[in-house]
Amino acid sequence: MYEMDYSENAERISRKFSQKGQTVDKKKIENKLRRLVDEFGVLPSEAERSVTNDLAKEFNIPTLGTSSGSGPGSATEQKKIADAAPGDWVTIEGKVVSLSTPASPTIAQSGILADESGAIRFIVWTKSNAPAMTEGSWYRIESAVVDEYKGIPSLKVHSGTTMKELGTTDPLIPVPVQIKDLHIGIGSVRAKVVQEWEPTHDRMLQSGLLSDETGTIRFVIWKEPGKEQLEVGSVYSAFYALVDEYNGRLSLNLTTATVMQEEGDIPTISGGEVAIHGAIVHIAPGSGIIKRCPVEGCNRALSRQNYCPIHEIQPNFVYDLRIKGWLDDGEKTHNILIQRGVVESLTSITLDAAKEIAENNPLGMDEVFLRMRDILLGRYVVCRGREIENRLMVNSCERLTFDSGEHAALLNRAGGAS
Amino acid sequence: MSINERDVGKKDASFEREPARRVFAAELRECRYQFKEGDDEKSPTFVLLPTGERSNRIYLVGTLTEKQRQGEQNLFYRGRVVDPTGTFFVMAGSYQPEAMQQIAKIETPAFVAVVGKPNIYQKDPASSPLVSVRIESINVVDKETRDLWMLDAAARTLDRIDAFARGEGKDVVTAKEQYPTLNPAVFKKMAYDALAQIKI
Repeated sequence: MYEMDYSENAERISRKFSQKGQTVDKKKIENKLRRLVDEFGVLPSEAERSVTNDLAKEFNIPTLGTSSGSGPGSATEQKKIADAAPGDWVTIEGKVVSLSTPASPTIAQSGILADESGAIRFIVWTKSNAPAMTEGSWYRIESAVVDEYKGIPSLKVHSGTTMKELGTTDPLIPVPVQIKDLHIGIGSVRAKVVQEWEPTHDRMLQSGLLSDETGTIRFVIWKEPGKEQLEVGSVYSAFYALVDEYNGRLSLNLTTATVMQEEGDIPTISGGEVAIHGAIVHIAPGSGIIKRCPVEGCNRALSRQNYCPIHEIQPNFVYDLRIKGWLDDGEKTHNILIQRGVVESLTSITLDAAKEIAENNPLGMDEVFLRMRDILLGRYVVCRGREIENRLMVNSCERLTFDSGEHAALLNRAGGAS
Repeated sequence: MSINERDVGKKDASFEREPARRVFAAELRECRYQFKEGDDEKSPTFVLLPTGERSNRIYLVGTLTEKQRQGEQNLFYRGRVVDPTGTFFVMAGSYQPEAMQQIAKIETPAFVAVVGKPNIYQKDPASSPLVSVRIESINVVDKETRDLWMLDAAARTLDRIDAFARGEGKDVVTAKEQYPTLNPAVFKKMAYDALAQIKI
């Protein structure tokens, strides 16, 4: 078999590093290249790039590393933020639009850098000894590297990065996008708070649902000094919010965003309540009286053994009522979730009465489920609420009553000329 | 009242459940054609209603007039649920333990609401096919619920007849092929007669 000669490639790599005052073992490089090409079928140019990058990392000489996609030895490119992809070595000019508390002592500064094309999270490693940046100023950052964390691109300022403040005082006005156009990364929106949810974590200040006329998105604000809760029903502009994923859906983290309350109202997709007339065709397990985890902000439903998936056995649980089921109008079946207040008025069983039944009956909590099922299953009701992700969050629900006017109209319709 | 995010759940809510059609006994009895869409074992089976709509599930309210416990090892219940146009044959077997427990408790006669899956059975090639409903749930209800169902079933039946006349809907053509001798107009008279029986 034809044996390729790697000495030339090895020589080229070696020369690059000797220019930086490093000595490398050419034989070792040749072996690495041979392994990549012969065993792994890597193209020789790609193998050379890969070996160079490995060594650059080893000697901490980032400028010798080359971005994927560009040929060997090319310098880092000046890019717009929107074009910076994970794996790129880039030079970027941008404005620090927000600074946040670093999560670890290895990080000197973290925040968000923006230009006209978009925004990106950045992290300045403590080891980089970079000068501290100030919020609102523009910087030219040369040879920084873009990587990603949980799918979100992030710009890393390391010891090989050079940074200088620019004199510009460009105001840079962020343009909000529609909710349906948000994607993982950083985004700005103008939206209305349509729902507030109970916090699920004790560090959580608020969570809920934002909506504009194109969609809805969950939002969260974590407890940090100076952070305030949003008002349900008010419209806000949120600039440079972090868009990530939670439970398989996009979620907007507003903790480090610039949030401003707006005057007036905007149309939202879930602005109006829907009213669905139909029959309750199924009451799902987990309906009736349930126990919730008492740990502040948790509220998970406990198993029969009072077990919370996070906080384990919780003997001092809190009782609650809810109905999960299907409401069918003959054309579509709607997944419904009914909260305690509505359950009480619909079934005439109060939480206290349900507790009484659960604690004094041989079937315990199942007895409450069965009684509520017998009251509701197969009945015609009208449920009003907001439909979110194919589930109707019921705000009110009433039994339907016979309408003799409708009866007369149907008799006319059926008796008319055929 | 604030919503508990723990109850909002994950993407499972995106599951599309087959709707329950409203159909009178006299129309369901005429069904002869059932089909499956997709080769998957789990793809739903549909019974084609003569008025031109597919039905994987039905919701009906009527009077449970009889019920019978049958079988020893494979216990199951049969029942007859009557509406003003005819009789629904319902059954619950050991694969529907909840439905069995429910029907076992009910004393006949009683108004019942039934959610279930229609199926066409033929004992042998010589006998005529029988449409029966495998119960998912059965529950005793009041007369008002029965009357509400009659309005609902009549309105839906008339909607289907109108759609059939306009040739709308993907199953109308199949219905014309499968039920060449049936004129949906007969179901209009059926709906009228059913409505006329509601006493206020």
